[in-house]
Amino acid sequence: MGSHLLGWAAVSLYLAAEVLAIVSLRRPKPAADVAGAVCLAVGLALHFADLELRARALGSVPYRTLEGSVSLFGWMLAIAYLALWIRHRERAMGPFLIPIVVVSTALGMLLPSRVAPVSAQTRGALFALHVTFAILAYAAFTFSFVLSLLYLIQNRQIRRKQTGILFARLPALEVIGRMNRTSVSIGLVSLALALAIGVARAQRLWGSLGDPKITWAFLTLVVYALLLWLDRRGWEGTRVAVLSIFGFGVVLFSYTVVNMYFSTAHNFR
Amino acid sequence: MSLIAVPETRLMLLGWNLRVADVAVRERVAFNADEVRDALKQLIGRGLVAESVIVSTCHRSEIYSVFEGEGRGEDLTRFFAEWRGLAPSDLSRSSFLAEGADAARHLFRVAAGLDSMALGESEVLGQVRQALKLARESGTSRTVLHRMFECAVAAGKRVRTETEIAVRPVSVASIALELAAKVFGDLSEKTVFVLGAGETGDLFARQASEAGVGRLFVSSRTRERAEGLARRVACEVVAWDEFPGRLPAADVVVGTTSSREPVVLRADVEEAMRERRGRPMFFLDLAVPRDIEPAVAEIYNVFSYQLNDLEEVARENRAQRSRQVPHAEAIVEEELWKFLGWMGNLSVVPTLNDWRRRWNEQRDTELERQPAAERERLREFADALYGRLLHEPMRRLKSETEPGKKLERLEAVRHLFKLDDDE
Repeated sequence: MGSHLLGWAAVSLYLAAEVLAIVSLRRPKPAADVAGAVCLAVGLALHFADLELRARALGSVPYRTLEGSVSLFGWMLAIAYLALWIRHRERAMGPFLIPIVVVSTALGMLLPSRVAPVSAQTRGALFALHVTFAILAYAAFTFSFVLSLLYLIQNRQIRRKQTGILFARLPALEVIGRMNRTSVSIGLVSLALALAIGVARAQRLWGSLGDPKITWAFLTLVVYALLLWLDRRGWEGTRVAVLSIFGFGVVLFSYTVVNMYFSTAHNFR
Repeated sequence: MSLIAVPETRLMLLGWNLRVADVAVRERVAFNADEVRDALKQLIGRGLVAESVIVSTCHRSEIYSVFEGEGRGEDLTRFFAEWRGLAPSDLSRSSFLAEGADAARHLFRVAAGLDSMALGESEVLGQVRQALKLARESGTSRTVLHRMFECAVAAGKRVRTETEIAVRPVSVASIALELAAKVFGDLSEKTVFVLGAGETGDLFARQASEAGVGRLFVSSRTRERAEGLARRVACEVVAWDEFPGRLPAADVVVGTTSSREPVVLRADVEEAMRERRGRPMFFLDLAVPRDIEPAVAEIYNVFSYQLNDLEEVARENRAQRSRQVPHAEAIVEEELWKFLGWMGNLSVVPTLNDWRRRWNEQRDTELERQPAAERERLREFADALYGRLLHEPMRRLKSETEPGKKLERLEAVRHLFKLDDDE
């Protein structure tokens, strides 16, 4: 699978962006902000090139393997954060979010490479769409998880009247809540699409819906849909933040344990 | 002794601020923008100064001036006394005077918020900027003051970004408004209710209005008082018995009444929260005894604070700001020396010219005493000697890079060779 030189260069740039994000959180300097965004953007370009090389080596989409999908997840997370930065100059999330980008991109190169031959399951535009939407959903839920952590931190600062640096730099609760709502909505739509495509393909390929992954994806949908519903019915605030963290736990479980041990179609073998 | 008291560009500050002048004097010498323009024009027009900038805020009136050649602080005092119809002695008793580096240092400290009542406050930086703008429009800030004010603003900005001197709010109302802003984000879309129209209510309403809250309501048992407040501060009056019904519309509620019993009850807030579908509410109790029932704080998504809590935060924050002073002073000195270095360069050339002139005068005096036939040869000899003897000291003076040393040496040369004496 090659040495992933471009991928490691991307990881280094993400790390640089993380250092700059921490510096900027302590003492905001426009130059450090812009430098961080540039590191992230160049990192994304190199990361994309690395995914492209993987695709050529595999002769298919790069996320047919576990490593490829983890790597794409990191890429999507980074691009979503960059978009948020460009649109809202929101930098307080960086120090908390970029480490997840770094870890997933690095894991995408460190995990043992196991390439199964291309089969009917892993071919075609629908397969590509299914995986892309699923990973987009995971990225959005990860975003929501980080935002919920920020919400709980900021809520604690406000209640304890700690008006220091973190208080000053983190966004207002209402702003974090709004961003969280957007992330969860994007995640829900993406996951619903991924699930619909997945169910249709499962019917067509195996004629059954017995894959536990479907059950877990459905459970994830229910948790996040419930979150949005409760958010409008008096749960806005810490309760929604805690529920989002719980939802992320479900996502993680589904992506790791369910993929590896329960689902035959999602174990990348 | 002033470090940069060279006759070509003398910097002077004449001021009245809260440390030396009581409020009665400060009120008499305060300037509005038109008066600043007028005073600046007159100062220049009468040839009292070469450049001038006036910084005038509620706590200070400070006149920064550059003199070319002779110029005295007393003339300035007399001018302002005459302008304001005061006795010069009264005015000079409550004024302070600083020259050269001390005058520049004062401005840098002012811009950094180190001379303010609320340490590190940011408003003064805008006022310093505004002072420079007015002087520029009036054509009275030129090379030196323009540079000095720009450097002072840069120092002020650095202090606020590189230290935590301006991070924590230091008054109860500003702490409350910052906490509310961190709950709601943009306060310009939020509704604030002030209960009680006494002194505290008035103060808070003013600050909330300055902070740009969306809608401001005031409610008082005595309707006339509420109406009086509404005339002073842009806000609307809500009848006292209508207030509980309006509670669901309130994002922030501030209690400042003198009621013996709480006026905001848990049951009312619970009802309001139901109507608000759980959207957060913010309560601030500045009244003694309390206006807001303590149990209100237990309701989900309600943020509730009392006077004591916030006073303690204010004390802590003031202490926290004080701890930043040494760091801030170091930044001020660093930026000040950069400016003085530039100023020193301005002073090297005139000093060297004076030095040469003084040499030539003495050479000619000596030559007068010599036989006429030998004078030409002796002049050549003297010039060669001058070149040899003074080449190195002049070179060293020019090439000194540390501003402090350079200024000290310039000062020493002027003193040793009596360059400041006119005879």
